[in-house]
Amino acid sequence: MKKGVKLQTFVPFIAFAVIFLFFTVASKGKMVSSYNLKMLIDQSMVIIIVGCGALFVVAQGGIDLSVGVNLALSGVVGMWAATLTGLPFLLLPAALAVGAIVGLFNGVVVSKLKVPSFILTIAMLIGVRGMVHLIQTKIGAQYLPASLRILNEPYIKIPLFVAIVALMAFIFEFTRVGRFSQAMGENETVARYAGVPVARMRILAFVLSGLMAGAASIFSILTIGGTSQTMGSFTEMKVAMAIFLGGVLVTGGTSARIYKMLLGSFSITIIVNGLAIIGYPETQASESVQGVLLLLILLVAMAAASRDRRRGAPPCEEPSQTQEASSPPGR
Amino acid sequence: MSAADNILEIRGLCKSFGSTRANINIDFTLKRGEIKGLIGENGSGKSTLLSQIAGLYRSDAGEMTLNGKPYSPSSPLDANRAKIAMVMQELGVVEKLPVGINVYLGRLEQFSSRGAVNMKSLNGAVSRLFSEWNLPPMPPNAVVSGMMIEQRKIIELARALSVEPDILLLDEITQSLSLNNRNSLYALIRRLKDMGRSVIVITHDIDEMLAISDSITVLRDGEVVGDVKASEVTADEIRYMMVGRNISGDYYRADTAPDYAEEVVLTAEGLTVEGEIEDVSFQLHRGEILGFVGLSDSGIHSVGKAVFGLAKAGKGRVALGSGGEVKNTRDAIAGSMGYVPKDRDNEALMIHASIFHNATLPSLKEFRGPAGFLSPARLRKLSGDIVKKLSVKCTGIQQAMDALSGGNKQKVNLGRWLAKDLKVLVLDCPTRGVDVGVKGYIYELMKQAKAQGIAMILISDELTEALGMADRLIVMKDGRIVRTILRGEDFTERSIIEVMI
Repeated sequence: MKKGVKLQTFVPFIAFAVIFLFFTVASKGKMVSSYNLKMLIDQSMVIIIVGCGALFVVAQGGIDLSVGVNLALSGVVGMWAATLTGLPFLLLPAALAVGAIVGLFNGVVVSKLKVPSFILTIAMLIGVRGMVHLIQTKIGAQYLPASLRILNEPYIKIPLFVAIVALMAFIFEFTRVGRFSQAMGENETVARYAGVPVARMRILAFVLSGLMAGAASIFSILTIGGTSQTMGSFTEMKVAMAIFLGGVLVTGGTSARIYKMLLGSFSITIIVNGLAIIGYPETQASESVQGVLLLLILLVAMAAASRDRRRGAPPCEEPSQTQEASSPPGR
Repeated sequence: MSAADNILEIRGLCKSFGSTRANINIDFTLKRGEIKGLIGENGSGKSTLLSQIAGLYRSDAGEMTLNGKPYSPSSPLDANRAKIAMVMQELGVVEKLPVGINVYLGRLEQFSSRGAVNMKSLNGAVSRLFSEWNLPPMPPNAVVSGMMIEQRKIIELARALSVEPDILLLDEITQSLSLNNRNSLYALIRRLKDMGRSVIVITHDIDEMLAISDSITVLRDGEVVGDVKASEVTADEIRYMMVGRNISGDYYRADTAPDYAEEVVLTAEGLTVEGEIEDVSFQLHRGEILGFVGLSDSGIHSVGKAVFGLAKAGKGRVALGSGGEVKNTRDAIAGSMGYVPKDRDNEALMIHASIFHNATLPSLKEFRGPAGFLSPARLRKLSGDIVKKLSVKCTGIQQAMDALSGGNKQKVNLGRWLAKDLKVLVLDCPTRGVDVGVKGYIYELMKQAKAQGIAMILISDELTEALGMADRLIVMKDGRIVRTILRGEDFTERSIIEVMI
C-alpha cells in the first residue's frame, strides 16, 4: 500500500495563494502596501478571534451562528457598563462576561435539552439582535473612551491578538479539550465510550465560542471607535466560511485545525479587501462577487475531497460506506 | 456436471484499488442450489469479489456469466433485478428510518401510488416476509437507531430475501448473530438450497463453514488458491491453504483448571437495566477471565455496558476493588478499566480518523503535562509503540482507520487499552470479524494480560471461545444469571446449551 497524497490538504493553501496573487496583481501591488497590510490584519483580527472559539463547536460537529450577535451584545453591554459607571476599563471584563454567559446558555440548551445547535443559534441570531437594537437605542451612539484608545496602538493590540490566538491554539491543538472535541465530531458514541465527558465538553465549547465573541467585540470597538446597530452582523457567516474555506469539514472531527481556520480567515479577508481596492467596495457588486468566489473555492475543495475518497478507496476486505449522508447536519 | 448446472461463472476477474490488487484473475463457479463457502485471511479479497457480484464495484477486467448470459451489474439495484442480493459485512441500514422502509429501500414504488407510500401495505409485506422466512419478528414501524447490531443484521437479511434472490451473498453475517439466530440462519440457508437457489457465505469460522457449505473456495492475496468439496477437507487443510503454512487450530488455553487470585477487583451487585438485565451479581478476581454466554435476548452484551458505566439508568451498583464505585464511564476509566465493544466501527473506533487519533484517545488523561499540555511527540510514540507491538499492518500512524482490514482495526482497538495500566478489561466479542491468524493472536494477548493480573470479562457469542478462554462461565437467559460454571467442572458445550435455552 502506498500512502496516497491527499489533495484536499493542499486546497486551502492553493486557494489562499491564488487569491493573494490575483489581488496583488489586480490591484497593481496596492494590496501589499504597508498601509493596506495593516488594514488586512485589522480586518482579519475579528474573524480570527471569533474563529478561535467557534472552531471548538465546529470540531464537535455543531455550529455556532450566534457569534455575530453575541459580539454585538457583548460590545453594547460592555460600553453601557463603561459609561454607566464611568469606569472605561470595565468594558473589557463586561464584554468578556456577556460573551461567555451567552455561550453558556447556548451550551446548556444544546447539551441538556438536545436542541440542534444549528437551530438554537439561528434563534439566538434573531432574538439577541433585537436586544442589541434595544440597548443601542437606549444608550445612543457610544464612542470609544479616550482612556482606552491606547489599546488600539499596534504595539499593544498586535501582541494582545497574538497572545489570544496562541492561547486558543494551545488549547485546541495541545490539550484534551481540543482532542476530545475532535473525537466528538468523529463519533460521539465512540467518544463517550472512551470516557469523554461529552455534555461538559459541549458546554465548554460554546462558552469558549462566546468568550471569543466577547473578546472580538473589544477589538471591533477599538478598530471602529464605537458601537453601532449593525455591529457584528454577518460575522457568523464570515467565520463559518473562513473555517470551511480552510478545509474543515462540516462534520468537524479531526479535520478541524487552527491553521485551517487562520488560512481561511486570511483568504476571506483578502477577498473582501481586495475587491474594495480594485474598485468594488463592500455592499455594492462586491457581495455577489464574494459569493461566487466562495462557491467556486468550495466546489474545488469538494471535488478534491471526492477525488481523494475515490483514490484512497480502502483495500480489499471491507467496502467503505460513507455514512455522511445519514448523519444530520450538526448537533 | 454440465455447464447448464452453473448459475454463475466468473472468468479472469480483476479489481484494484490504487496500487492494491484486491482481486487477481479470479475464476469462480457457482452451481444451482449450491452453498459455497468463501474463505481467506483479512485482506485476501473475499468481500471485494462479492461486492463485484453484487454490483457495488465495477470490475477492472474479466467477465461474469449469469444463467449463460453476460452479467455486469451497474449498481446493487441492478444486481437485485438479476435476482442477486447481498448482506454486507459493514452495517448497511439507515439509522433514522423504520424497519419496513429499510427492508424495501430503493424499491418503494411497488407500495406507492402518486408518490405517497402506502405504509400499511408496506408493513404487511414486511411482516409476511419475516414470518415466511422465520426471522425473529420486529415491529415494521420501529426505528433502527438504538437497535443492537444483531437486529440490524436481520433487517439487512430481510432486505436481501425480499428480492427473492437466486443467489444470496452473505458477508460475515453469522459473527453478528447469537447462537439461536445462527441456527435459524443455517435452516434458512438449507431451505434456499432445497428451493434450488444458491448461497455464497463468507465466514471466518472454519468449522461453521465446513458444516454448512457444499464446497469451499479459498482466497489468498487476491487469488484463488483452492476450490474443494467441504466433505473432502479438514479444517487444518483449509487453514493451511489460507495462510500457506501450517498453523495449529488449538490456540485456546491449555490448562483445564481455573487459575486466578483471591483478590476481588470488581463486584457487581443487583445490576438491573430495564428490559435488558435483571439482578445480575458477580465478583471478578485479579487475573481471572470471566466468560458470559447466552442467547440473543439473554442480556450478556448489556452486562458489559452496565459494568463500564454506560447503562442509562438502573438499579444495582458496580464497585471496584480499590473502593471506588462506577457510576459513569469516567469512573470506570479512572478505576483502570477498559472496554472493547462488540460494534467496532460504530462504538469503538473513529473510523474516518487516523490510527494516531484512535490509539491515543483513551490515554489522553495520563499523558497530560503541566497546564494540560499533551506532547505530540509522546503521543506519536505511544501510537507507534501500539502499532509496532501488535504488528498492525498499515502505512503509518497517520493512516486512516477505514483503510485497515478488520483484524488490524481490532488490533488498534485492543492495543490502545492494553497500552494502559489496566486492572479490568471488558471484551465484548473481541474476535468478531477477524481471521484465524489475528484471532489466535488476540487469545495470546489475553493470556499475557491474564498473566499480568488483568481481570477480563469476556462476553462471547462463540461457545468454543468462551470455553477455551474462561476461568468461570456465567450463563445468562432472559436477562438473568442462570448458572455459573467453573473451568474443569462440567465445562462442555452441552452442559451450557442445556441451561442456555
